[in-house]
Amino acid sequence: MNRKSYKGYVYLAPVLAIMLVFTAYPLVRAIFMSFCEDYSIINGSYKGINLENYADLFKDKDFRKAITNTITYVIFVVPLSVVISLLIANLLNSHIRFQGLFQTLYFLPYVTSVIAIGVVWRWILHSQYGLLNSILNFFGFESIGWLTDRNYSMASLIIFAVWKSLAFDIMIFLAALQGISPDLYSAARVDATPRWRVFFRITVPAMRPIIAYAFVMGIINSFKVYNEVFSLFNGSAGPSGYNSAITIVFYIYDKFYNNYKYGIAAAGSVVLFLLIMFFTAIQRLPGRIRARKEAAQK
Amino acid sequence: MKSRKPTAIIAEIVKYVILIAGALFTLLPFVWMVLSSLKSGSEIVAIPPTIIPTHFMFSNYAEAWAAAPFPRYFLNTVFVATVTTVGVLLTSILAAFAFARLDFPGKKIVFSLFMATLMIPGEMLLITNFVTVTKLKWVDTYKAMIVPWLANVFYTYLLSQFFSSVPEALYLAAKVDKCSDLKFLFKIMVPMNKNAITTVAILSFIGSWNSFLWPLLVTNSTNMRVLSHGLVRFQSEAGAQYQLIMAASCILVVPIVIIYLFLRKYILEGMAYTGVKG
Amino acid sequence: MKMKKIMALTMATVMGASLLTACGGSGGTTSTTASTTAAAETTAAATTAAGDAAAETTAAAAESTAEPVTITFWHAMSNAQEVSLTELTDKFNAENGKGITVELVNQGGYSDLQTKLMASAAADTLPDMAQAYNNYFTDYVDKIVPLDDFVKNDFDNWEDIVEGYRIENSEYGFITGVPFNKSTYPFFYNKTMFDRAGITEPPTTWEDLEKDGAILLEKEGVPMLGYDSMCDMLEIFLRQNGADYVDETGALFNTPEGLEAIEFILNLYSKGYARLIGEDAYFSNLMSSEMIGGYVGSCAGVTYIVTDNEGHEFELGVAPIAQGKKNAAYNAGTNLVMFTKDEAKQKAAWEYMKFLTSAESQVKWSIDTGYVPVRTSAYESQEYQDFMAGDTPGAITARAAYGQAPYGYVPSNYFPGANEIRNVVSDTLTVCISEGRTAQETLDELVTAINDVVQ
Repeated sequence: MNRKSYKGYVYLAPVLAIMLVFTAYPLVRAIFMSFCEDYSIINGSYKGINLENYADLFKDKDFRKAITNTITYVIFVVPLSVVISLLIANLLNSHIRFQGLFQTLYFLPYVTSVIAIGVVWRWILHSQYGLLNSILNFFGFESIGWLTDRNYSMASLIIFAVWKSLAFDIMIFLAALQGISPDLYSAARVDATPRWRVFFRITVPAMRPIIAYAFVMGIINSFKVYNEVFSLFNGSAGPSGYNSAITIVFYIYDKFYNNYKYGIAAAGSVVLFLLIMFFTAIQRLPGRIRARKEAAQK
Repeated sequence: MKSRKPTAIIAEIVKYVILIAGALFTLLPFVWMVLSSLKSGSEIVAIPPTIIPTHFMFSNYAEAWAAAPFPRYFLNTVFVATVTTVGVLLTSILAAFAFARLDFPGKKIVFSLFMATLMIPGEMLLITNFVTVTKLKWVDTYKAMIVPWLANVFYTYLLSQFFSSVPEALYLAAKVDKCSDLKFLFKIMVPMNKNAITTVAILSFIGSWNSFLWPLLVTNSTNMRVLSHGLVRFQSEAGAQYQLIMAASCILVVPIVIIYLFLRKYILEGMAYTGVKG
Repeated sequence: MKMKKIMALTMATVMGASLLTACGGSGGTTSTTASTTAAAETTAAATTAAGDAAAETTAAAAESTAEPVTITFWHAMSNAQEVSLTELTDKFNAENGKGITVELVNQGGYSDLQTKLMASAAADTLPDMAQAYNNYFTDYVDKIVPLDDFVKNDFDNWEDIVEGYRIENSEYGFITGVPFNKSTYPFFYNKTMFDRAGITEPPTTWEDLEKDGAILLEKEGVPMLGYDSMCDMLEIFLRQNGADYVDETGALFNTPEGLEAIEFILNLYSKGYARLIGEDAYFSNLMSSEMIGGYVGSCAGVTYIVTDNEGHEFELGVAPIAQGKKNAAYNAGTNLVMFTKDEAKQKAAWEYMKFLTSAESQVKWSIDTGYVPVRTSAYESQEYQDFMAGDTPGAITARAAYGQAPYGYVPSNYFPGANEIRNVVSDTLTVCISEGRTAQETLDELVTAINDVVQ
């Protein structure tokens, strides 16, 4: 390592300058807003500085539900998506015929219009004519009201969301797989090591930074889930009337843009912020512990 | 792949089955989009929906194309997406290098703050940013559509993860050779990570290409509008012409697919290297 | 408004409706649609930084009123509506004789317009004028230009404007705007199906709703009723039964009449005469596939009902909605509001507002788009009467709309929380219906939900 110098800041300067104006400033303002009672976005007026917004927030059963829903969502969607994507990316990167064709096919969902995606998923999950229920019936199972039964709202949302995040994860994993030096594999080939062991002994460790990235980003993005809910339930947060699939950002958006409760929306954002901080910190723990152990062993 | 054990053959079959099933499943909405774009206005609302159109209405495409000044929108979108992508790549590469390779005072704090900005939903920042852009007198300019997107934490973090997987020894060797940091970055680091950089370029381009609300907020004149705004033409409060929305969506996707096919060669180069041996 | 907003918003998501053919008898073919839209682009293209320019030139323009003046108008009209608005505006620009040029700026759908107005209010760069619902500006009503003086001194006949709209535009205590694109919610029904079941006349009373609903369910196996907007359905049934709805103090229907109306509604659903939209996007789609006998929805949506799908060909009927002890029907649609602080621009914007609400413009606008005229004289004009006498879907819808125009009711939207109430009422009512709650439970839940918002 070279000595500490301020040179790093020269490299960071462009990014920091833009973020100061377009991210840090509005963020600080949002945090400030969260402590203002009856804040008006129009003229910046407020009644007083207190914790009224936070009190309102936790009194609201919709917000509490939004928190539990969002956490459930994160716990299911992130690991599922990473594991499936890793598997598919690995297959795509192995010696297969029509490799280019397959890679393109897996990329296409990423550019498909969101309208088409919402429409087709509502058709797949439709209780009467849906593809998924047809398959279930074929195997002798009963139809499920994926979009009508509020007990299944989160399940439907999770299935949809895993599907939706696959294309992105596959893409970055592929890029990482392509970057692994072939020399790493040659040794294994000589030893005739079983493929699954090559995968866990060589591929996964070499991709550790990218897998970590997928996890961190997965957690952050999943905590901010909004569009998935909106497009699956046709604009509401679950079967009409029920907020059974409400998420934190859905709640924030509704408070801000539909109910003009800017302070409460801002307070919701701060709570979300703290939650994400907490979860990303937990996520990093195993890495930290391992690093510490390794350091101790040396 | 010549004479193999039966288990290996089964494994091979399973592999293709998974890949084909997965591809069909992920591709379904895309196929749906294309088929819907060819349905008639009455067929598209049928319940239960038909899958293959009974009559292929290719005229939907002509109709969609004529409904808005798409050539102008197209130019705007290409310009904004290209400049944004090039710009964000540059700033992200520089910042990623700083985080991955340089040591500077306060690095940990800066990095934490940097990541923390991701944790607040963009919807909360929208109005404040609009006010800022207005105060800068950037409304209705390309600047307003481009500059706020020139810094991206996602891409910076992704690239720094890739950069940090490059062996430290290479950097030290370069140092010994009196290679400056900047030269090292662009002569060694960037070429070594071109898969990752190409991927970021595609992600950024698609993101910019599809953005809707921000460009709508900061522009007023039709001359400045982008392709995604053309889609709104086909809907009203009481309903929408979905076959035209789908047709326009297909038109929107074509350039991206072409760019992808073009760039895929670069992503795949590494593979060709290992691929021939099999 | 929730339904509307969602409809506009969900361009991103929804499975929807049909090709907008010659809307409401406009006779506009595809090619004219395209070319006129292109014309709209050119007009709008001349705009540069509308908001900024407005703010900057305030001082300069105030000095000389005779100079040519340009005003910007933000709207959310698309398809046939945008074509007609562009034609009207081109005509105004060519013929006003006062050097006024109106620049149309399309700001996407209603929800996009609403967000953009909110952002512009915060940045103090509101356009000279815009389309708006009253609940858009509960937070910045001080930025609205009061139109009282203009109406008093420079309007041909304010009494000619349909009363409901006059009340709506005075809710804030002063005149906030003039009505422009107004719709009403008539009863759309499958006439072929009704005839087959032996129902010769569409239901006109609450008793008919039950009687015909039972017949249709028995003979055709489908529900007869659907309501595009749950909260508006509730409000109209309450008013038809002589109950009040809400105001800034909270719910007003905790009365015997209120309970009776709610009981009636719940009964329609529990017996299967009415159904919720559920996972299907629009009642118009269910109509097109003959999965429902009829529904109550916006008259501007008639073009989305498809009557010639293979296997589902039927004749469309449109009628005023059934009435109770009192008469009430639901109205929707935006008004034109003014923001410019510049006196010359205010005058220019007022000229344009007068033009758009003139009987002549309203007749053309209504025939082109399926909206209803905002003036009695427009209704009574020979041209509109001739149009209504026709048998196009637009004409029969217009007849039904005309039939219920006298008791059209515009819901109150001016107090803070009005928007939120719409959402909680729709949600609560939907839940109570699906869970099979009793009338008293439903009433209590609705009242609690509303009063929680108002506090």
